[in-house]
Formats: sequence, C-alpha cells, structure tokens
Amino acid sequence: MVFSYNWLKEYIKLPKPEKLAELLTMHAFEVEEIKKAGKPPHHNKGKRRGAKKTESALVWREGKDYVLDIDVLPNRGPDCFSHIGIARECAAFTNSRLQIPKFKLKEDKNLKTKDFVTVEVKNKNDCLRYTARVIANVKVGPSPKWIQERLKVCGLRPINNIVDATNYVMLETGQPLHAFDLDKISNKKIIVRRAKNREKIITLDNKRYNLDKDILAIADVKSPLAVAGIKGGKKAEIDKKTKTIVLESANFDSRIVRKGSKKLGLKTDASWRFEHRIDSSLTETGINRAAEIIQNIAKGKITSGLVDFYPKKVLPKKIKLDYRYLTKLLGLKIEKKDVKQILKRLGFKIIKEEHPILIVEIPTFRLDISLPEDLIEEIGRIYGFQRIPAAFPIVSLIPPKRNFEIFWEDITKNILKESGFTEVYNYSFIGEKESEVFKGAVEVENPMSVEQKYLRPSLIPNLLKNVIDNFRYFNEIKIFELGKIFIKKQDYNPPTASSRAKGAGPSRNKKQIEEKRMLAGLITGDAFYQAKGVVDSLLNKLGISNVWYDEYKPTPEQSKISIWHKERCAEIKVDGQEIGFLGEISSGIFKKTKVVIFDIDFEKLIKLCSEEHEYQPISQYPAAIRDLAVLVPLDVKVVDVLNKINVAGGALVRDVDLFDIYEGEGIVQGKKNLAFHIIYQAEDRTLKSKEIDKIHQKIIKILEENPEWEVRK
Amino acid sequence: MRKPLKIKTKGDKIDVTVPGEKPTVGHLHPLTLVKRKVEEIFQAMGFSVIEGPEIENEWYNFDALNIPKDHPARDMWDTFYLKNGLLLRTHTSPVQIRYMEKNNPPFRIIVPGRIFRHEATDASHETNFYQVEGLMVGKDVSAANFKAIIDEFLSRFFGKQVKSRLRPSFFPFTEPSFEVDMTCLVCNGKGCSTCSRTGWIELMGAGMVHPNVLKAGGINPKNWQGFAFGIGMDRLAMMKYKINDIRLFYSGDLRFLEQF
Repeated sequence: MVFSYNWLKEYIKLPKPEKLAELLTMHAFEVEEIKKAGKPPHHNKGKRRGAKKTESALVWREGKDYVLDIDVLPNRGPDCFSHIGIARECAAFTNSRLQIPKFKLKEDKNLKTKDFVTVEVKNKNDCLRYTARVIANVKVGPSPKWIQERLKVCGLRPINNIVDATNYVMLETGQPLHAFDLDKISNKKIIVRRAKNREKIITLDNKRYNLDKDILAIADVKSPLAVAGIKGGKKAEIDKKTKTIVLESANFDSRIVRKGSKKLGLKTDASWRFEHRIDSSLTETGINRAAEIIQNIAKGKITSGLVDFYPKKVLPKKIKLDYRYLTKLLGLKIEKKDVKQILKRLGFKIIKEEHPILIVEIPTFRLDISLPEDLIEEIGRIYGFQRIPAAFPIVSLIPPKRNFEIFWEDITKNILKESGFTEVYNYSFIGEKESEVFKGAVEVENPMSVEQKYLRPSLIPNLLKNVIDNFRYFNEIKIFELGKIFIKKQDYNPPTASSRAKGAGPSRNKKQIEEKRMLAGLITGDAFYQAKGVVDSLLNKLGISNVWYDEYKPTPEQSKISIWHKERCAEIKVDGQEIGFLGEISSGIFKKTKVVIFDIDFEKLIKLCSEEHEYQPISQYPAAIRDLAVLVPLDVKVVDVLNKINVAGGALVRDVDLFDIYEGEGIVQGKKNLAFHIIYQAEDRTLKSKEIDKIHQKIIKILEENPEWEVRK
Repeated sequence: MRKPLKIKTKGDKIDVTVPGEKPTVGHLHPLTLVKRKVEEIFQAMGFSVIEGPEIENEWYNFDALNIPKDHPARDMWDTFYLKNGLLLRTHTSPVQIRYMEKNNPPFRIIVPGRIFRHEATDASHETNFYQVEGLMVGKDVSAANFKAIIDEFLSRFFGKQVKSRLRPSFFPFTEPSFEVDMTCLVCNGKGCSTCSRTGWIELMGAGMVHPNVLKAGGINPKNWQGFAFGIGMDRLAMMKYKINDIRLFYSGDLRFLEQF
C-alpha cells in the first residue's frame, strides 16, 4: 500500500525517506519502493518474495513529496492501512511523540440528524456498527488542490469535494466512508440487509452486478443503494445538484465483505480494509473528521448528533505480561524502562505494575493483539529483532532418530547413479491426454493448466516426456525418478459427519486417495536385459534376495489399455509378492524410440530392504569350470534349463553362468543354443577330475531326457 | 553422447596427456544433493528428519496452524484443491502438527518435502517445489537459540561465515514472527545489485511457535516453547549453484542435470 511521506511528516518528525524506509523494514514492515511523487506507479503485483526495487540515487528535497510503497503485514490492516497508523509505528521506533491534529466539529443545533434520516440494521452480526451523519446545503464541486494532491500521491482519482473528503479520511484514519445523496433515498431510510437473490445494482462506475443473499446491501425501502463495504451504487450518487448528503461510516463483518468481494470479483480500497477488519470505535472518529472537512471545503451545515447503531461496544482488552517470559522467549534482556517506553509509544497503557508483571491495556485499534506473545513481538521488533544475540540452546543429548525411509532412498539413488542413471525431478502433475492412458488419476479442482490437470498416477508419463525433450541432444538416455504418485481408490467411503467432527479429518487408512512413493527408471533402446540387470543389482545391494520375474499375463481387457509391450514385460516379484514391473513400453503409446522401464513400488521395497549381510567363507579348495552348450526349442526358458542343471549337479555345482544365447545361422530352425559355464567346487576338498566328469555327465543325461533338447558335445 | 575413446598402442611408452577412460556414472539431482547437505547439518545438531504426506486436509494445512477459514491470511497460500476437502500441502508445516500429536517435547526435527502453490510459473515461481521445515520445542528454547542454529546452518551450508538478520513478519503459526535475511553471498554484505545494495538477501520465514499451534498439537504452551522455520530448498540450491531459473529443476533437461 502506498503512503505519502509528507503526509506522515505532518504527524511526526521523520528521518529522510531512505532512512525511514530502512527503519520501517527493520521494525515494522518491508518498504518495497520509494519514489518521487508524480512518477507513474511501479506495478509490482508479485508476492513479497519478488525482487525489491529502490531508486538508488534518491535526492531528497524539502517540499517535494515521496511515495513509500509499504508492505503492511496482513494482521496489521486494522490499524496500519492508514497514515496515522504508519505514523504511530514511526513514533515507536524513532521514540518521538505522535501529534494528531485536533479538530472541531461545528454542529447546527437547530437541525437534528435523526429528523433527516433513519437507519435500520437487519442483522447485527453482519454489521457491527453503523454511524450516519447528515450535512445539509453542501456545494458540490472540485476539492481543493491539497486534497487532490494527496489522493493522487496515494493512487486515488479526485472526483468531487464530497467523495474526495471521504477518501481522504479513509487514507488518514483507515475508516472507509460513503456519501449518499439524501434526496435520492426513498423514505429517507437506510436499511442494512442481505440482498435478495437476483436483485441487481448498478455501481458508481456504471457496472451491473447481480446480487444474492450472501451479499450485504445498503438499501432504501425500494432497492439497493450500495454493496456494503465494497462499492457505492449509481442510485444515490453525489452529483453537481446534490444538496444534502448522508455520510455512512460503518463496520461490516469481515467475512461477509470478503465473501461478497470474491463473489462479485470486485476488490476496492474499502473492501480490502473491511476484509482485514477495522476497529468499531473508528466509525465515529472517521465520520466526524469527514464532516469537518466537508464543512470546510463544501460549506453546508452539519446536523447535530449521530445516528449510531452500535449494539455491542468494543472495550479495550487487558493482557498480563510477565517480564521473565519476555526475556525467556526472545533470549534477550530488555530494560524495563525501554519496555514501558515502547508500549507507550505504540499507544498501549500500563495500568498496573507489580514486578515482574505488567498489566497492559490494549487500544481497540489493535485488533491483532490478544496474547502476551503478541505484546512480546511488539516490544521485540521496536527494540530491534536484529539485537537478539545468537546463543546455542542448552539441551539433553538426545540423538536424532534414524529415518530408515530416507536412508534407503539415499542408498537406492546412489546405486542407480553408480549404474549410470541420472536423477530427474518431474512435476507431480500430468495432462488430460496422459490421464487417458494412465488411468486412475486424481483430478485437481483448480488446475493451473490443461497440462497439469491431474495428479500423476505413475512416474512413467513424465519420464517419457523427458525422453522426447532430451532426444534432440542425446541418443542414449538413462534416467530415474523416486517420487510420490497418487491414485484414486475405488472402494472409498467418504468420512461420516461424526468422524469429521473429531477434527482430524479422514484418517490415513480411510483416505480416498492412495499416495505412495515409486521408483522408476528408463533406458532407451532395446535394453530389456540391461534394465533387468540394473534391477537385479539394485535389489541385491538392498539386501533383497528371492527375486523372480514372471511373464505378465494381462486379462484381454487390461492388455488393450496396457502401456507395456505384451511380449516384452515382466512382473518383478520378491518372495512371491509383486513389487513392480519391468518391460518395454508399447509402441502404441510411445513411438519416438524403444524404451525399457522399471517401475517399482518403493513402499513395498523399503519393507524388504535389509542391512544384514553375512560373509560366506571362501573355499580353500580350487574351483573347476566346465562349459556346456545345449540346443533347445526357442520357447524354452533359460530358468528351466538352469533349474535342471542345479538339481542334477547338486551341492558341488557352486554356480552356473549363462554366457551366450544364439539363434540363427548354423543352428537348426526353431532352436536356440544356450552356453553355460558350470563352476564346480567343494568346501572340504579338491575335486578330482573324475568326480567332476561324473556330475557333468549326469547333468547332460538329465538335460537330454527331454527329446527336444540336445547337448552339443 | 559421444562414444568413449578406445586406445590401442604398442610398447611401454604412454602419452600421459591422453584423456583418461571415464567410467559411466550418472548424476544425482541438485535438490537431492542440497537435501542431503541440509539433513547432514541438522542431524549433526541433533535434529531428526521427519516426513509427511503431500496430500493434506484443511485441518492440518490451515486450521491447526492457526489459519482460520474465511480469514484473509489464507490468501497468503495459493492452494491447489482436490475433492472432499483435500488439498496439496502448501508448506511442510502440517508435519509439525502430525509430529506433535505423536511425540512429547523436548524435540527438534526438520521436515524436508515437496510442496505446492497455485501460482503462475516464472524464473522464481513453480507449482511444485521443496521446503525444509524446522521445529524445536523445549522448556526455554528462545529466539536467540534460533539465531545461533540458523547462523551455524548457513555457515556450514555455504562453507563460509554467513550471518542472519531478523526482521518483523507475520505468520499465523508463529508469534513473534521473523523474516530472516542472510549476508549477500555475492558481495559478502558490502551491497551489490543482487541484494539491491542492502548487503542482505531475504531467505526464509521463522518465528516462535504460536501457543495455538502447540495446543493443536496437544502440547501445553504454559510449559513448552520453541521456534519453527521454513526454508525454500530450491532457493538454497539456486544460491549455492548460482542457478537463475527454478524451472530448470523440474525440466528433466540432461544438459542441466549432468552438471551435478
């Protein structure tokens, strides 16, 4: 929000603008920008994280005004969306006296406000206070230059002396006001009520809005005059011929203004302030100040008395501040006289003091203060948070708990990195198109774009996208990602009213969305066996044994939508439990190139990981290697051959290594040649050649029991 | 990708200037490297590393953190909503509550994790990014303690003496709240264009845990107090490696990733 430096200076002695900006930043609010008045505003709609821009060589001259763009913190709207509020902050950190000029209201004894206008508030929860005043015989015209200048510096457009006076008071005190032409109000009666469904209003800027019962209206007996706290209507607009005006200074419920403003898509200086709440006591100060200014600049007679609907008067709170707690929370000792001085400058009253307790009365304009911690913040920041020393805590030596999930994540990532894979982090979102292939995706209610309409139900679609993006620069890609996926649960029952009432919402196991960590890796090319080797080595290093790959047999229905090449994919199983998939992606869904992917349920994997590892004694006796080649039909699985060799060989076969698979030229049609190294070794003796021959022959015999298998001799 | 060099020579004499044969190893993501570094430093100071769900409900993400419904403070977090009152967590702070519900003080934890914001993306904004949350609760854990811990963290993380500076801020879940600036690394605090000549860089939000948050976590604020903070991990990585665009982290661009 922008503030005029000269305006602030009216209330308090100030350092030069740049110094002031620095002090404000350190003690109250960040100053986004300082600039000379008259320059076009520097639009910075971004959030507070954005880069700050300050004119570097700012030459300050007496008489010229400067604009400070101050990032008032959202809890300080009630008092600091006003020049007086900011000046009060300055008074505290510069330790000087705030001087708010007194003004005198000259009411006309013969005219009684209540004879001119009546106010009816239908619901006291919607409108906490409604204060009205009448000024008769005004002369509407342009406002004086000093008011126009101030409004312009603060980014408001001058309209006429009446409207300008109300805006001026809003910028000065923070109280939004509105002026109606009394002669345009039917029955001279103002009613504060909810709008009716389909009721319409044309606002001052000639825009038409449809209202409903969630929106608060200011109306006469016939129709709405204004959207309460948001915008005035055309019906009772001040114009050149206006003679008698009604000033409205009210306090509307922040929630209803917020809701209405959102619904209508209409944010105004007034709605912004009401949304952040305002002190109910302020309506009176605001209306009197506006009346005084209007009387000065537009003549007119102020009728005597206020029409004031104020059913529940706000009273100042009292807070017990323990001086010891202040020191303990900040870890900083502040002299008591400094504490008291700071509180005083901020407008707090110390009503009782009994060491180490202070009873502090909180002015009603500080809606943000309700706890001792709030007061401690006030004292701390004005004194200077930068003065808090660095002091290490004194604590028991409780060692941090080990996080096994992160431990295994780290190990997994290291193994894959060492296997030549590069780690990617992809978005947690996928687009509409991907969601048609990767089913079960959870829809985002308010997505940023069509490309991010769903939560990813699999890591695969974004990995495939990585291939497309990188293929221009790389012809071989090996990437992996470890991250969360989200899947809609079919059998979910929404939480009942009673379970929700407990506060904690749906319990974890009843969640309608399954959220779990997956590990997926991708290799481009005809790389099934390479990928399988990676998975084998990964599982082995994670201490997982008993790994098995099963041909994936989808139901006809599944195979239609399957992303996998149906002849080139497998289920990865550990102890009979499926933990993931390995396979080539079907060319039907990805045409760019062949890719092989492993996709593993990391939550299941973590449960199987083990750090336990036992050393196998190294045999002191030599090993002997014999080779064996066997010709088998093409559909025979290597594992079946291996099993036969192992069973026939028994304990003395220590290992069997497949080292060649060949089909084609020189081999009978429909057959393939498998070649193995068989390693023979005993733990207790050197095996004699004859002994090995005997076992080897036994293996050959058993293999050849199958008439279609032929051991090549 | 180029094919590896094949070398075949005769005799004993070798040319030591021939490039070596490099083993093919992959690369870890820069955010993984930063996360590990952060975890290592805090674990050395006795902080446990805790994680939590990315899909949250309004209670944990907002209400329990003293951010009531229909309060303008909720606008500070642009949120992605799902059906049935669920949402994508906008910070790692919900894990504070989840942890307090199950553990008794004193404790000190950090919570690294992915968070989400409904914001238009540009060089410094993303729809998903990473945060690390810190929480320390004890009998007399103070703002001064926070300052010592964070100064130590920053100095270890950046490998040189770095100082922090606390300024006023507002977060519903802390009171008092701080904006934490750190010495500008480009100019070492002398003032340059990166830090708008202030010598300081805005780094994170922090504060003393609000009594209502302790209560929501089942802890009596009369007996316990502590600090909490939240740092953007992407920002740490950007500062450490001088990366100028947050979107690179989620681009999957191997020309970027292979540099780490």
